Amino acid sequence: MKTLAASPAISTSKFLPGFSAIILGLTVVLGLGFLQDANNYLHNAAHDGRHSAAFPCH
Amino acid sequence: MADFRKLVAVSLLAGLLGGLLLSVLQHYQTLPLILAAEQFETPLAEHVHDWQPMDGWQRNGFTLLFNGLTGFGFALLISASMYWRNQRGYLYGIGWGLAGYWVFYVAPSFGLPPELPGTDSAELHSRQTWWLFTAAATAIGLFGLVLTKQRLLQFGGAGLLALPHLIGAPHPEVAQALAPEALQQHFVVLTSINNAIFWLTLGAISGRLLRKVTFA
Repeated sequence: MKTLAASPAISTSKFLPGFSAIILGLTVVLGLGFLQDANNYLHNAAHDGRHSAAFPCH
Repeated sequence: MADFRKLVAVSLLAGLLGGLLLSVLQHYQTLPLILAAEQFETPLAEHVHDWQPMDGWQRNGFTLLFNGLTGFGFALLISASMYWRNQRGYLYGIGWGLAGYWVFYVAPSFGLPPELPGTDSAELHSRQTWWLFTAAATAIGLFGLVLTKQRLLQFGGAGLLALPHLIGAPHPEVAQALAPEALQQHFVVLTSINNAIFWLTLGAISGRLLRKVTFA
């Protein structure tokens, strides 16, 4: 029976595409959730989304 | 990098669909609570001259954009994980969605519950640091506990899951909120349900879409 833990290790050719996707995903999420700009433009635009996703806000 | 483009395409579609669903849920459930809490906040509000989206389509439009883009980002994490483990299909997707919900919502909000505007909290940077540390420790801890077979890594993983909560989230010395406690509790419950629906849907759609693509 194939279990989650029995999956083979990541092959070298699959490393870079997956890694790039992870880096892009983290950049998008953390940028939207955490950046504080001096004029609060980004904060105010993302305000309701941040509150509703339980990101620390204010 | 043809595979990377396919992961982006899958995640974009899944993220937009998941974000649209979350926006609809929030519009009818949590936005009214945020607006109600702001009524208590207004007389004390700082930075009143800063630009803010106007209430109505502008404000809702930015929330939709925010949800779609964060959905895209979260879907990238799900689809890359499934790509690495050669998984596809909605059931695996739901499994990863559950993991994402735990890492990015349940574990951080265990120490820092979602808050209505006007709630007093500890200094922002210390909360952001704890939040990021908790998400990272939970992700690595879950990996060790669920996806490895060595006993030592499993114990280490369990320890990492507990560590942020043993350290404890930063809290203000005197907690104070402008909105009534009942409103805040209602907000936490609805937010928890909405985010669970969002994550499970996001995972299911990502997993299903991965069936449609062939990787190099």
